[in-house]
Amino acid sequence: MPENWTSRILPAWLNSALSTATGRAERAYGSVPNAIRLLVLALLLFLVPYYPNPFGGGLVFDDRWLAVFRLVGLYIMLGIGLNIVVGYAGLLDLGYVAFFATGAYLYALLASPASPAIDFPIDSVPWLFWVLLPMSLIVGALVGILLGIPVLPLRGDYLAIVTLGFGEIIRLFLVNKTDWTGGSQGLYGIKAPPLPGGLELKSTALTEWYFFIILGIFFTAFCAVRLRDSRIGRAWEAIREDEDAAAAMGVDTIKYKLFAFAMGAALGALGGMIFAAFQGSAIPDSFDLLVSINVVALIVIGGMGNTWGVVLGAVILIGIPDFLRFKEASDFLGWFDPLVPFADTHEWAQELRTNRFIVFGALLVLVMVLRPSGLIPSKRRKIEFSTPTEAA
Amino acid sequence: MSAAEDALLRTTGLTKRFQGVVALDNLDLDVKKGSIVGVIGPNGAGKTTFFNVLTGFYGPDAGTIELMGRRVDWLQPHEIAGLGVSRTFQNIRLFANMTALENVLVGDHVASAFVNPGPISSPGGRVGFRDQLAVIAGRMKHPLQMLASPLKWGWEVVATVAGLPIVRSTEKSAVDRSYELLRFVGLQGRSQELARNLPYGDQRRLELARALATGPKLLLLDEPAAGMNPQEGQAMMRLIRQIRDNLGVTVILIEHQMRVVMGVCERITVLDYGKKISEGTPQEVQADPRVIEAYLGRKVAAEVSGEAASDG
Repeated sequence: MPENWTSRILPAWLNSALSTATGRAERAYGSVPNAIRLLVLALLLFLVPYYPNPFGGGLVFDDRWLAVFRLVGLYIMLGIGLNIVVGYAGLLDLGYVAFFATGAYLYALLASPASPAIDFPIDSVPWLFWVLLPMSLIVGALVGILLGIPVLPLRGDYLAIVTLGFGEIIRLFLVNKTDWTGGSQGLYGIKAPPLPGGLELKSTALTEWYFFIILGIFFTAFCAVRLRDSRIGRAWEAIREDEDAAAAMGVDTIKYKLFAFAMGAALGALGGMIFAAFQGSAIPDSFDLLVSINVVALIVIGGMGNTWGVVLGAVILIGIPDFLRFKEASDFLGWFDPLVPFADTHEWAQELRTNRFIVFGALLVLVMVLRPSGLIPSKRRKIEFSTPTEAA
Repeated sequence: MSAAEDALLRTTGLTKRFQGVVALDNLDLDVKKGSIVGVIGPNGAGKTTFFNVLTGFYGPDAGTIELMGRRVDWLQPHEIAGLGVSRTFQNIRLFANMTALENVLVGDHVASAFVNPGPISSPGGRVGFRDQLAVIAGRMKHPLQMLASPLKWGWEVVATVAGLPIVRSTEKSAVDRSYELLRFVGLQGRSQELARNLPYGDQRRLELARALATGPKLLLLDEPAAGMNPQEGQAMMRLIRQIRDNLGVTVILIEHQMRVVMGVCERITVLDYGKKISEGTPQEVQADPRVIEAYLGRKVAAEVSGEAASDG
C-alpha cells in the first residue's frame, strides 16, 4: 500500500510512532476552521516578497524568484482552469492554448499600438486592462462554446485529437492572417496597466505582479472549487463516470460538457490576457503546442482533479527548470560534486535544463507507473486506485 | 374512462433494426397508469433494445411512442428522463467513484435545477433536416428567446460560483430528498460510501433510488433481481410493489426469474425475435403454448403438451 510505504524501510516502533504523530497532526489540521486555514495561507503567500534571509541579510526571494513565481503562478491558473475540463468532466482537451491565445490577443488587439484592429490612440482608455479583465472571461467562455459545439459530441481519444488540431489551427491563424493579427512578429508595445495612485503594473514591477497573480490563483481556485461542489460539478462527475447513465438521469450531457469547456476556456483566456499584459506583447510563437502539453502534463503529474496537485505540478514542471538557472541551484548541486567523481554538477544542471522535455517525458512515465493518480491524488481518486477493482 | 386516457405509455408499430437483424418488430404495447408490467422472453428477444428505444438511446426505425398522449420517440435521453421516464440497467451502471448520496443527487438533477430549462423544443418523432431548419427559423423570429438560453446558462454558472441563497436552498432540499430516498430503499447509514464499495444487492437498491430520484411516472427496471437469492428476490418484489403503491409509479420490468415476474407483475408481455408473441395475466401467459415453444423449442414444447394431453 502506498500509504504505509514507510513500514518497509523503518523499524516497527519508529513507524508506529511516526504514524501516530502524522495522524495527530492531520487531526489537528482538520480541526482548524477552513477560513482560518485560508487566511494563514494567504498571509504566508502575500508576505513571500518580504521574507528576510536568516543567513546573511537581504531577502529570501528576490526579483529573480518573483519572476519565476509569476510564471509558475500563471501556469497554476491555467492548470486549475484546464483541470475543470480534464479532471472534473473527464474531457481530454489538448488544445487549451487556443483559449490562452484568445485572451492574449483580445487584449493585444485593443491595447497594442501595432494592432491592425484599432487606429485610435490607446492612451485615451487608460483603464482598458481592468475593463477587459472580466470581459476576457466572457469572451473566453463564448469562444469555448463555439469551439466546443462541433467537437463535444465526440468522446475520449477522438476529442483529444480534434482539440489538438484546434490548438494548432489557432496558432497558424495568428501567424497567417496578417491583416487581422499582425502576423508572426506579433503585437507589441502594450502599455503597462495602471494602478491607483499613479503606479503601473510594469513588467519590472515584480512584487506587484506577484500579488496580482496570487489574487488570480485564489479567484480561479475559488471558481473551480465552488463549481466542483455544486450540482454542476456532480453532473460533470457523472458524465466522467458514465455518460449514458448520466443522460438517463436527465443530465443534458452536451450542455454540461459545454459548461466545462466554457469554464476552462474562460479561465484560460483570463490567464492569456494576464500573460500578454506582463509580456507587453502577444507573439504567435508563445502559443504553440508546448503550452497545452505543459498544462496537461502538470495536471497529470500533480494529480487529476486536485487543486494542490496542480500547484505541485506547476512548481515541478515550470518552477524547477527556471530554478536550475540560478546561482543557488549550482551552489546546491555543488555539494554533490564530491559524490559524483567524473562530472561537473553545474554543467549537469544546465544539461537538465536544456533537455527538460526529455526529463518531463521520463517523469510522466514514472508517475504513470508508480502513482497513476498523480503525486497528490484527489480524495476520491485516492480511494479509487487503492481498492481492488472488483465491482462491476 | 376510455382506454386512450388510461394508457400512460403506448407504442404502435415500434420497429428497430440493427443492420438486418430485426431487434424490435412492429411492437404494439399499452401500459396502464399504475400497473406493473413484465416483459419476458428468451435471450436476444429485444427486451433491452425495447428499453433503450423507450429511453431515447436509439431512435426507432418505424412506429411511435406516446407518453401520456405526447410523442416522445426521437427525443434525447435526458429529455425523456425529464418527462418522467427513468430506468435501471441490466449490468449495474452506477457512478462507481461517487458516494451513494451523490449518486442519488445526480438522479435529482432535474428536480434540483434552480434555472428553469424551458420546454422541450423538439416535437418528437423523427425530424428531418428541413424540419430542423424550420424550427431554427421559427426561433429566429424571436431574438429575445434566442438570447435567453445563453443568459440562463451564464446565470446558472455565476449564481453557483457566487453561492447565492437560491442555490444553497435548492441544494439543501435536494440533499434532504436524497436521504429520504436512500431510507426508502433501505440504504440508511451508507450514504457516504462509494458506490463501488457497496455489496451487490445494495448496488441494485442504490440504482433504484437513483432512478426514483428523477421523480419518474414510469420506471423501467432491467432485471432488478438478477443474481439475487430467493430472499433478496422477495425483498426486491416487496420494494417494487411499494414503489407502485406508495409513490404511484408505473413499472415495466424485464426479468428472467420467473418467481419474481409471476409474483409481482399484473400483466406480462412476451417477446421473441422482437415480436410480441403473447400478452396477458401471468396465468394466461404461462398457459400459452407459443410461450412454451419460444422458451423450450418446438420439439420439447410438443412433447410437453403431448405429456399434458396424455396426463389429462
